[in-house]
Amino acid sequence: MQGNELVDLLEPVEFIAIAAIVLFLAYLALEHRDIVYAVFSFGIMASLVAGFFLLLEAPFIAGMQIAVYTGGISVLIIFGVLLLPRAQDTTLEAFEGPSKRRVGLLVSIFAVVFAAALALLYEWPAPAGWDTGIPQQRVDLAQSLEQLAVWLWGEHGIYVQMIALVMVTALVGAIAVLKMEKAERMNPESKDYGIGSSNDGGDETPVVDGPEEPEDEQEEVAE
Amino acid sequence: MIPLSWYLTFSFMMIGLGAYGMAVKRNLIRVLIGAEIMANGVTVALVALSLYMETFTFTGQALVILVISVAAAHTALAMVLMLMYNSRYGTVDLGRPGIQEEMQSE
Amino acid sequence: MDFIPVLIWALLGVVLVVVMLLASWVLRPHVLQNSEKLSSYECGEEPIGPARIAYPYNYFIYTILFVVVDVMGAFLWLLASSSLRLDIPVVWQTLIFVVIIMLGINFVMRTLPQTTLDGKETLELYQERKEARAHSTGHSGGH
Repeated sequence: MQGNELVDLLEPVEFIAIAAIVLFLAYLALEHRDIVYAVFSFGIMASLVAGFFLLLEAPFIAGMQIAVYTGGISVLIIFGVLLLPRAQDTTLEAFEGPSKRRVGLLVSIFAVVFAAALALLYEWPAPAGWDTGIPQQRVDLAQSLEQLAVWLWGEHGIYVQMIALVMVTALVGAIAVLKMEKAERMNPESKDYGIGSSNDGGDETPVVDGPEEPEDEQEEVAE
Repeated sequence: MIPLSWYLTFSFMMIGLGAYGMAVKRNLIRVLIGAEIMANGVTVALVALSLYMETFTFTGQALVILVISVAAAHTALAMVLMLMYNSRYGTVDLGRPGIQEEMQSE
Repeated sequence: MDFIPVLIWALLGVVLVVVMLLASWVLRPHVLQNSEKLSSYECGEEPIGPARIAYPYNYFIYTILFVVVDVMGAFLWLLASSSLRLDIPVVWQTLIFVVIIMLGINFVMRTLPQTTLDGKETLELYQERKEARAHSTGHSGGH
């Protein structure tokens, strides 16, 4: 931060480059026809958002974004796509109807207009000296992790225990839902639609280790 | 230094893209990706606001840590519920569970 | 001007990747690429359908376990990079945090076998399906 012009120009150029790439990747994640590529571009987008946190002088948030979003959440979604081959059906990408498409376009146009109004019309607070090119250093980066740890672990330790309970809740909820799914497969309720409705629906259930294995021996016993 | 309005513009564009995805898409996984894109926009806005306030505190950054952790938990649960939806209705098409029956009857 | 070594390293990385890709493209034999060459190898069998198949749902629990431990690691990373790690109350908090998550993981690992169909249940399910199928074909008059 010597205040020369090249360094001043560097931050806006970085911001615009990262923002353009992130918005393009987010658009790809929503619109790419192959959902596997869409999920991969979501993962790359999540790791590029960490660049914004580095620009905003929050290195720990950037690290956590890469560790949890790129390393955890995108892997979860990729695994989900692996387990749900029906999600790769490209006929799902067609719009449900013209009215829904119009609602979506209205939402996105409203977002762009509102964002432009926010940027141009409202007087946002700014730290002293951001427009003179000599910004005041707001965060001592060497002390950032220390102070964040004091805030989170030292003064507000109950939040950490809350996160532990939320994580345990996610695990137990996942196990409970999978047990419900197994119970439903054992005793399927008769319904108007779905696997309980037709007798050949059982062949469509995406379980490869299910009734495949003991089929041969059972045939022999029956004959 | 970059003005705050740039960050808020970017985060609002992300939230708009996510809302578009959640409003329009039929594939459940796309809807989840839209929700995650919205969460990313919100985290950028929170960190930017916490840096640009008059007196700097770590509240925004700590809030973002909690948001990211809860996002991991809710993505896990949403994916498991999607597996349940698939095994019950035989599709991941949102809002039209009877679509297979319609296709068979046609 | 402190960034000149970084720039040199970045340039070196880009040049290295490009040169390696080009060199492998130049050096490798360009044989005929047809559908037989490009199909996936399945022990000499003809591959049927796409390579993306379905797996049992229970593998998903391992991914969730990974994400939970990932978040726990991020929190512990924040603690380990500060001077608070030697504070006695914070040590107790850390212990409670880790013990809660470990109890959850222990419960999940013990409950995981109950979410899969074991051999007896698979057999029951298969017999039910077979009975239903025989019933329905008997009604329609067989073949």
